[in-house]
Amino acid sequence: MTTTASTTHDHPDFLAHHWDTPKQQFEAGKLGMWLFLATEVLLFGGLFVGYAVWRGNHPELFKFGSQYLDTTMGAINTVVLILSSLTMAWAVTCAQRGNRKGLIIGLLLTLAGAGGFLGIKYVEYSHKFNEGWFPGAYFYDKPSDRSRTWDDNLPVPGAGQLVVPVPDTEARSIEELGLPADILVEISTVVPPGQGPSGLEELALTDTVHTDDHAEHEMHALQREDRPANAHMFFNIYFMMTGLHGLHVLGGVGVMIWLLIGAVKGRFNEKYFTPVDLGGLYWHIVDLIWIFLFPLFYLI
Amino acid sequence: MTTIDTTKPTPGAETPPVDNYLTHSSGIMSWLGTLDHKRIGVMYLVSILTAFFLGGMFAMLVRLELMFPGEQILSQDQYNMAFTLHGVIMVFLVIIPSVPASLGNFVLPIMLGAKDVAFPRLNLFSYYLWVTGAVLAVSTVFFGGVDTGWTLYVPYSTTGTEMNGILLLTFAVFVLGFSSIFTGINFIVTIHRLRPPGMTWFRMPLFLWAIYATGILQVMATPVIGITVALLAVERLFGIGIFDPALGGDPVLFQHFFWFYSHPAVYIMILPGMGIISELISVHSHKHIFGYKFIAFSSVAIAIFSFIVWGHHMFLSGQSPLMNVVFSAITFSVAIPSAVKVFNWLATLYKGSISFNTPMLYALSFLVLFTISGLTGLHLGTLATDIHLHDTYFVVAHFHYTMMGGALIAMIGGIHHWWPKITGRMYSEFLGRTACGLIFVGFNLTFFTQFMLGSKGMPRRYHDYDGPNWTPEATELFGTYHFWSSIGSFVMAAGFFLIAFYLLHSLFRGKKAPANPWGGRSLEWQCASPPPHDNFSEPPHVGDPYDFTVLEWDEQEQGYHWRHDLKHEPGEA
Amino acid sequence: MSLLSPIFSLLAQTGRTDGGFWFPESASTVAPDVDFAFDFITWISIFFFVLIVGVMLWFMFKYRRRGHVPSMESPTHNTPLEITWTAIPMILVVLIFYIGLKGYVNITTPPENAYEIEAVGQQWFWSFNYPNGATDINILHVPVGRPVKINLRANDVIHSLWIPAFRVKMDAVPGRRTELWFEATREGEFALYCAEYCGTQHSQMVGKVIVYNQFEFEAKIDELANWLDKVPDENLHRAGVILYNRCTSCHTVDGSPLIGPSFQETHKLFKSGGTRKLADGSAVTVNEDYLRNSIRKPSDQIAANAQGAAYPSSMTPNIADQLGTRGVEAMIQMIMRLDELVDDDGKLIEVKMADIVVEAEEPQ
Repeated sequence: MTTTASTTHDHPDFLAHHWDTPKQQFEAGKLGMWLFLATEVLLFGGLFVGYAVWRGNHPELFKFGSQYLDTTMGAINTVVLILSSLTMAWAVTCAQRGNRKGLIIGLLLTLAGAGGFLGIKYVEYSHKFNEGWFPGAYFYDKPSDRSRTWDDNLPVPGAGQLVVPVPDTEARSIEELGLPADILVEISTVVPPGQGPSGLEELALTDTVHTDDHAEHEMHALQREDRPANAHMFFNIYFMMTGLHGLHVLGGVGVMIWLLIGAVKGRFNEKYFTPVDLGGLYWHIVDLIWIFLFPLFYLI
Repeated sequence: MTTIDTTKPTPGAETPPVDNYLTHSSGIMSWLGTLDHKRIGVMYLVSILTAFFLGGMFAMLVRLELMFPGEQILSQDQYNMAFTLHGVIMVFLVIIPSVPASLGNFVLPIMLGAKDVAFPRLNLFSYYLWVTGAVLAVSTVFFGGVDTGWTLYVPYSTTGTEMNGILLLTFAVFVLGFSSIFTGINFIVTIHRLRPPGMTWFRMPLFLWAIYATGILQVMATPVIGITVALLAVERLFGIGIFDPALGGDPVLFQHFFWFYSHPAVYIMILPGMGIISELISVHSHKHIFGYKFIAFSSVAIAIFSFIVWGHHMFLSGQSPLMNVVFSAITFSVAIPSAVKVFNWLATLYKGSISFNTPMLYALSFLVLFTISGLTGLHLGTLATDIHLHDTYFVVAHFHYTMMGGALIAMIGGIHHWWPKITGRMYSEFLGRTACGLIFVGFNLTFFTQFMLGSKGMPRRYHDYDGPNWTPEATELFGTYHFWSSIGSFVMAAGFFLIAFYLLHSLFRGKKAPANPWGGRSLEWQCASPPPHDNFSEPPHVGDPYDFTVLEWDEQEQGYHWRHDLKHEPGEA
Repeated sequence: MSLLSPIFSLLAQTGRTDGGFWFPESASTVAPDVDFAFDFITWISIFFFVLIVGVMLWFMFKYRRRGHVPSMESPTHNTPLEITWTAIPMILVVLIFYIGLKGYVNITTPPENAYEIEAVGQQWFWSFNYPNGATDINILHVPVGRPVKINLRANDVIHSLWIPAFRVKMDAVPGRRTELWFEATREGEFALYCAEYCGTQHSQMVGKVIVYNQFEFEAKIDELANWLDKVPDENLHRAGVILYNRCTSCHTVDGSPLIGPSFQETHKLFKSGGTRKLADGSAVTVNEDYLRNSIRKPSDQIAANAQGAAYPSSMTPNIADQLGTRGVEAMIQMIMRLDELVDDDGKLIEVKMADIVVEAEEPQ
């Protein structure tokens, strides 16, 4: 070891000056990546603990809320992600064998999988928003007991516009809140008037504009007698966890594009494929987290 | 062998211009874009000391306000913001990154015998993350300020009026968290993968063990504070209600999340300090460290235990009494490895040859102060007494003894120990010892009085101890303690200014430092002061880092080198 | 050395219930247990501190460096020694844990027959509600020699009720119910504090516990429950002065604005029939209806401060419930007739309950 270390003068380009051998550099990169993945697991771990606490305290919320998630969509997404993990593994193998073409195709397929996942997620989210299942305080029109009020500076809502109520802050206009003035988002309905978290008063659906039957069907769910108090909490946790996961998928897309550029430029070969390998590890953990999220929200 | 000869400054004769990391390249960009762990370490050191100055100023404001009853210089809101910023700066910007990021960055690869840390780019990136976090945290002052205390407890932090400040601060903490995580990952991988031939785990200096244990904590605990502050920000922005009882959430859940990070964070702060103390005591007593493996494993034990004691911050939060009992029991288990360390340090002194150099004085101060902090921890870990002492000045005194008397004193000792190595200059020993004395006396005056203040009945985070509802007796009693506490803080501040003065002076006028002024045996003392750009052009050869018998004093060089009567240079030993 | 003088003066006071060197006076049944646990740990601590620092100083002296000589030969490890100094602290901490646990079980288990009082923490005062409907602000009235259980609630943020003399403390958490209990052992007045940081006026969220004998206690809470009904209408504005203590953290009577507008300013506007600027830019005539509405619905008409910005609308929404119908009227009367209630220096006159209450038998 000593002799090889001191006599290695044929430092390849990719080998940084403080490493003795490519193997050492590769192993260090891999260890670093695993540690980073451990922090990712812990980052989600916080949310999983939150999930467990809430589920333990209020199982009825999860029973109720999960009915309104589209299991088919979730299942398709799970399959898409697992397939993309497969193509990623294939890409890594190609990189290790120096098969540049295979690497490029593998990365492209993985990217397609990621895109597909995000697309389906977008459809799911917009459905939820259409139906008024917003995260947090916006789940309700007026969380009355926090004396949060509609902001007078916002335009009167009409069909095709989403109005974001402003929480209880000193800021009295959109500008002060730092939100863009064109906060109005094109979707098909306005926020349904709901009920405050503490009171279960009857809903008034007067202002609501329904544009499709499906939305109408689920709207009625909001009025259901058996709706447990604090039903919004299920959607808060759902949006937080799948949202954070979605951000990670988005990050994965970035990594994949970067790898793709490198692959096209021919940076990787059978001696140097560390970035592809590490990117693959990251992609698998993102996949793995979804495999936990899917049953936790959609199935049980 | 050749390595050592070429890098060692020639004794006596005029020093030839030897290339070192400071002269290797020049220009401001060669620093700002450097990948050299030594330069990054120095940049961290300068930045962290700047933050320390800022945090210290806020502390002085707090002490001035409390010196006399009644409103002195700060209004209630200003006071609340001052102690919040003092806490935020000192915890997140100073003590958490202090030793690992500055001294650790500089010393760790050299001690290990590596040319750099495993991921130099990540290292620089984490420095800039720190800078970003620091700028964000301090800029809250210009956006309405934050008055929640560094603990950011909900619902005060989600319903208070300082919207922008809270958002900035949560973002700052998030970014600083990632800085800390990346530093931790870097050091763990460096220690695992960059040990040169001969550097076995048990030949690593104990400082490296401490940094390693700290790295584990940084990697395992910090993501949780990341997600916690993210949830806090989302709660603040959208009112998702996870922590907000008005929306069906639970504020105590926030405290669990917060302390799940912040308790291990206490050990992220103190463990590297303990590592420094192991080095200082052994080197300056010129004696082999006692119970190497016990000290090494106690670091790891502390790291593990620290994950399961967070609930002792919450005995009165309304969590179940059973949980309190369990957490109290586990809390005591952390006391054991800490005590073991102290006893081993004492045993190291036994039959030593103790030089009272400035770094050693800090190490001895640490022993006294850390003992007090550990023992008063018993009062707080005990259920019956914690009920009375919780959220009082007793707690304030206890954690200042730990954080400042422990972590910070160790860091200052470390700075003095490695200053010749970092800068290539010696400082005035006389002024160094004087400053250490001032800080020791000032510190005890400031904080020992606060133990009594707390047990006598003064709650923490109080702007004043006078007012319409206060009795004159209470005002008078607390006033006496507060007055002396403030006096102590002035003495301490004088000590810190003295340090700043003579260290800056030594940069320009200090004597040139020899390669090994103290007689250290770990690898950093084998290369020149300051070290060359590549640390070691060949993998160094490693021996027992605490075997000082092979060194002897060289009067001409004013430093230590390999004994002439021994056949081998250290490389061949 | 001057540090020592307060220490000596404290040492001189050492006695049974005055708390001695470390503690405030003690006045509850659990206090001796807590003090014992504290003293026990402290003496163990002192023993170890003296041992560690003593050994350190001794070694520092004995093995100080004399010239550049190497250290003496001595072993670098000793496993039996390590085990010894691991085991001894371990045994001691188990003992300490046990003592703490015993005291804790005592402190957290209220007796079944305890008298229950509800304590509500809000920014920045405590209100104490008694079973008979009596309410008081920042002053907790309790009987001596009878277990009292305090049920804690918080209206806005987390607070913590601490009575140092009783050695008890508990957080009041929004959305949770917590409790503490104590049994006072002697009559007297003791301080109580909010110990959990709760915002701007945290340091003024301070009050006192008054311990009475059983007769005085009954009489006191009886008086607290009924006194407002016994105040004739013409004295109602003076009753407002007594109720005013729950307003002091936000409203002054000397014209200086705090969290909310000063009562003096409001009073002047009322007298002159003036209008008040509101934060939304409109103005409202300050009359009796406006005052009533402002107390009943604090966030309805938010006043603008001198800079034209809104005062924080953080007045507890249920303040009207706490005051009761007659209490609200008393506050309105007080603001309207404030000029009759201040002395020449602009300070509020002192009003005693007995002076304004008219017993029912007497014709009004």
